[in-house]
Amino acid sequence: MAEQQAILSGDTSLIPGRGSKARLSDRYPLGAILLCVVLLGVAAAATLSNLVVQLPPALWLDALASPDIDDMRQVLVHYAFLPRLAVSLLCGAALGLAGTVLQQVLRNPLASPETVGVSAGAHLALALATLLAPSLLAYGREWVALAGAFTALAAVFALSWHKGLSPLSVLLAGLVVSLYAGAIGAALVVLRHEWLASLFIWGAGSLGQQDWSTTLWLLPRLGAAALLIGLMVRPLTLLGLDDEGARSLGIPLGAYRFAGLAAAVALIAFVVAAVGVIGFVGLAAATLARIGGARRLGQQLVMAPLIGGALLWAADQGVQIATGPQGDLLPTGAMTALLGAPLLLWLLPRLALGLETPALGSERLPRARRSALVLAVIGGVLLVLLGLALLYAPGPHGWTFASGDQLQPLLSWRLPRVSAALAAGAMLALAGLMMQRLTGNPMASPEVLGISAGAALGMMVALFSLADAGRPTQTAAATIGAFAALLVTLAIGRRAAYAPERLLLAGIALTALFDALILVLTATGDPRAMLLLNWLTGSTYGVDANSALLTSTIAFCLFLAAPLLMRWLDMLPLGSAAVQSLGINLRATRLLVLLMVAALTAASTLVVGPLTFIGLMAPHLARRLGLSRALPQAVGAVLAGALIMVCADWVGRTAIFPRQIPAGLVATLIGGPVLMWLLRRR
Amino acid sequence: MGRSRPSSADRHATLETDQKARPGGTAKPARGCITRRGALALFALPLAAFMPRAAAAKPLRIVCLDDGLAETLLMLGVTPIAVADHEVWEKWVVEPPLPPEVADVGTILEPNLEFLQQLRPDVILSTPYLDGIKPLLERVAPVTTIGIYTPDGQPYRRAIEATRQLATLVGKESEGGALIAATEACFSDVGQRLGPLSARPIYAVSFLDPRNVRVYGEKSLFQAVFDRIGIRNAWTGETNYWGFATVGIDGLATSSDARLAYLEPLPEGAVGTLTESPVWKAMPFVRNRSIMRLAPTLMFGALPSASRFARLLAAALTAEHAGG
Repeated sequence: MAEQQAILSGDTSLIPGRGSKARLSDRYPLGAILLCVVLLGVAAAATLSNLVVQLPPALWLDALASPDIDDMRQVLVHYAFLPRLAVSLLCGAALGLAGTVLQQVLRNPLASPETVGVSAGAHLALALATLLAPSLLAYGREWVALAGAFTALAAVFALSWHKGLSPLSVLLAGLVVSLYAGAIGAALVVLRHEWLASLFIWGAGSLGQQDWSTTLWLLPRLGAAALLIGLMVRPLTLLGLDDEGARSLGIPLGAYRFAGLAAAVALIAFVVAAVGVIGFVGLAAATLARIGGARRLGQQLVMAPLIGGALLWAADQGVQIATGPQGDLLPTGAMTALLGAPLLLWLLPRLALGLETPALGSERLPRARRSALVLAVIGGVLLVLLGLALLYAPGPHGWTFASGDQLQPLLSWRLPRVSAALAAGAMLALAGLMMQRLTGNPMASPEVLGISAGAALGMMVALFSLADAGRPTQTAAATIGAFAALLVTLAIGRRAAYAPERLLLAGIALTALFDALILVLTATGDPRAMLLLNWLTGSTYGVDANSALLTSTIAFCLFLAAPLLMRWLDMLPLGSAAVQSLGINLRATRLLVLLMVAALTAASTLVVGPLTFIGLMAPHLARRLGLSRALPQAVGAVLAGALIMVCADWVGRTAIFPRQIPAGLVATLIGGPVLMWLLRRR
Repeated sequence: MGRSRPSSADRHATLETDQKARPGGTAKPARGCITRRGALALFALPLAAFMPRAAAAKPLRIVCLDDGLAETLLMLGVTPIAVADHEVWEKWVVEPPLPPEVADVGTILEPNLEFLQQLRPDVILSTPYLDGIKPLLERVAPVTTIGIYTPDGQPYRRAIEATRQLATLVGKESEGGALIAATEACFSDVGQRLGPLSARPIYAVSFLDPRNVRVYGEKSLFQAVFDRIGIRNAWTGETNYWGFATVGIDGLATSSDARLAYLEPLPEGAVGTLTESPVWKAMPFVRNRSIMRLAPTLMFGALPSASRFARLLAAALTAEHAGG
C-alpha cells in the first residue's frame, strides 16, 4: 500500500535503497532523520554563537526565566531573540506540514505554499487591507489572510479544473496567480508613489519579534489546524490513491479533500499573517522528507514539520549571524526563497511529474474560414488605436487632439514610446506563440521561461553595483542577464532533451529566485530600489528615439526570420514521436526555436519589463479568433500583442495624468483577468 | 558659522545651464516674498529681505524636480512653476508651504514630459539621482543638475553650494548669502539656547514599522545639524549613501542616556503596537521618558530643512525640559 502510494505520487525515482537489504530504512525514514539531526545541530550551533554575542552565558538562565528589566541585553534575549526562535520553529513546521498535505491532496510532488499561489494571495490581501482598508485588520489579520489565500486557491483551481488538476496545470495556474498578485502589489507601491516611505510592504518575511504575542497568537491556531490534519491521516493517505480506488473503499473523497486543503491553506494563511511570505520552506521540507525515505503519509506528516522547523530555524540563525542579532535587513523569508529556488532547480530533473498531453487541442475551437479577413480586422483596430495613442491625450487644458504647432513636439515624445510598446508587444506575442507551440502547453510564455527574470536580474546588478549606470549600461546588463538565464534554462533543459515541462518549471524556479532577490534589495530601503521597481513594472517612460529605433529594428529582423520556423511550429504540437517520424531533428529544432524566443524576450523585456502577460495572452486571442495554423496564428498573435501593448501604454499615459501607470503593469492588470477567463473557457 | 569652506566651492558653483536661459538686466523686485520674509525674520535678519537686488524682468520659469532645491528656491523668494509630487511635499516637507499655483508634473522618477513641454520652462532643476532621465529632460529645457546627496557624504556643505548656485541662477545672490547666514545664525542661536539641554546624545529616527527605524547618522543632513548645534548623535554606526541606517528599535539600546527624536509621518499603526511591546518599554529612552515627536522635516532636504530640524528639535527639548 505504501509502495503503491509512493508510485502514485510519482516519486519512485526518489526512493533510496529500493528492494534489497535495507530493511531498517524501509521502516524508518533514516535519511530524513539524519538530515533533521544535522540541521538541528547546525541551527543550535548558530544559535549559541548568536547568543554568546548578545549575553554572557552566566546570565542565560536568568534571561530565560526572569529577565532583569534593567539589563537591556536580557530584555532583548527574552523578548526578541527567544520569541524569534520560537516563531521560526513554529512557522517552519507549519509550512512543512502544509506542504506535505498540499502535495498529498493535490497528488503533486511540487505543490507548496508558493507554487500554488496561496502565499501570494494571502500576502496581497494583507497588503491591500493595510493600504486601503486598515479597519479590516482590526477584525483579525488571519481573516484577511485566509480570505486572500482561499481566493488565490480558488483561482488556481478554476484555472486548472478542466485538466483535472493535473500537477503541471496546477503549478502553472499557481504561477499565473502569483504573478498577478505580485503585479497588483507593484501597482500599489507605484501608485502610492511614496518613494520616501518604506518599501517594507514588499520586504515582508522578516521573523523579527519584540514580544511573545506572535508566538502565543500562532500556537493555538497552528495547533488547531495541525490537530485537524492529525485526525485525518488515514483518509488523507487514501487520497493519494486515484479517485476510483479511493471511492471503491467508500470514502467521501470530496469532503476529506476539502478539509485537508482547508487545513493546509489555514496553516499558510496564519504564517503569512504573522510574519509574511517565507519562501520555499514548505516545498523544501515536504520534498526533503520524501527524499529522506519517509514513504508513508504518517511519516511524512511527522518528518516534514520537523525538517521545516529545523530548516527555518537554521536559516534564520544564519541570517542573524550575517546581519547581527535581530537584524531585519535581510528578511529571512526572502533568504529562504533565495536558497529554495536553486533547490527547486536541482529537484526538477529528479522528479517524475507525469507526461502532459498536447493541450492545444483544436477540436472545440472555432476555425476561421478566411483568416485573412480576421487578420485585416485586427490590423484595422490596431491602426485606429495607433492614431488615438499618438494624437489623443490630456494636457494642461483637458483632453485634446494634437494638431498644428503642438503636433511636432508631442509626437516627438509619443512616437518612440508607442513604437517601442508596439514592437515589444509584438515580439512578446511571437515568443509566447513559439513557446506554446513548442511545449504544447497553453500556459507557456517567455515570462514563464525565466528569460524576462534574467533580463531584470542583469539590470538590477548594474543598478546596484555601478555607481551611475546610464541607460546604455542598463541595457547591456539586461541583455547579458537574459542570455545568462537562457543558458541556465537550456543547461537544465538539455538533461531532459528540452522536454517542455522541465523547461517551464526551470523558468518558475528562476522567476522565484529573481523575486527573492528583489525582495532582499527593496527591503534594504535603498532609494535606488524604487528606480528598479519603476522599470520592473514596465514603464515605457525612458524610451527615446534611439532605443525605440533599436527595438523596432530588432523586432523587424526577428520577424523576417520567423517564417522560416513556421513549418516546424505547425508540426511540433503533434508530439515528439510524430515529428521525429517526419525526419526532423527534434533537438536542433527545439534549440533553434528557443534561441529565437530568447532573443525576442530579451529585446522586449528591456522596454516593458518582465511582468506582462502578453506572451501568454496574445497567442490565445489569435487562437480564439479562429487562427489555427502556425503562420496565421503567428501574424494574429503579433498584431494582438502589439494592440494590447499600445493600448496599455496609452491608458498608462493618460488615465491618471500627469502621473503615469507603467505600460507593462497596465497590460498585466488588464491582461491577467482576460487570460484567466480564456483559460477557464475550454 | 566660522567653518572654513574650501574656496573652490564658490568657483564650483558655476552653472551648467545654458547662459541664454538667464535673465539679464535689472528691474523691479518680484513680489511674493512672504515666505522668505517670514522665515528670515525668524533669524533676526529682516534687513536682507528689504534689499532685493537685480531681479528678473521676466521671472525665470523654473521646474524643480527635487524638494530640497524647491524649498531653497521658495526661501529665496522664487516660486517654481512646477514641482514633482505635491503629496510628498504636503506629507514630508510641510514648510515652507507650497503655493497652490505650483503645478504638479507627476512623480519624481517620471515627471510627465509632455506636460513639462507645455509648461515651457526656462530651466529644469534636477539631481544626480535623476541622471537616467536627463537626456529626456534636456529635450524640454536646459537642465541644471545640483547634487546635495552624493557619495562624498557632505550634504550640508553641498546644500550651501546649492543655495549659492540657485541664488546665482535666479539673480538673488544677496538673498542666497542671507539664507546661508540665517541658517548658520539659526544653528548658533539654537546651540546657545539649548546650552546644558544638549548634554545627552540623541537618536533621530523615522519609523518604518513598529519594529524598525531609519536612524540618521554620518552623511545625513541631520548629522550636520547636530554638529552645529552642539548635540551628540547617539547613532555612531555606519550609514548609507543617503545618511541613514535601517535598524530594529532594539539596535537603539547601545547608549544608555540617549534621547529619541522621531519624525512624523508615522506609518499606519506603528505607535499603537509599539507602546505595548516589552522591548520598547525596556528601551532606556522610554524608561527615562526622553522621547520627542517632531513634525515632518524633509530628511533629504537642503538648508531650510536643516534649520527647520534644528528649530523643531530645540522646541521639543525645551518643552521636555519645562515639562519636567
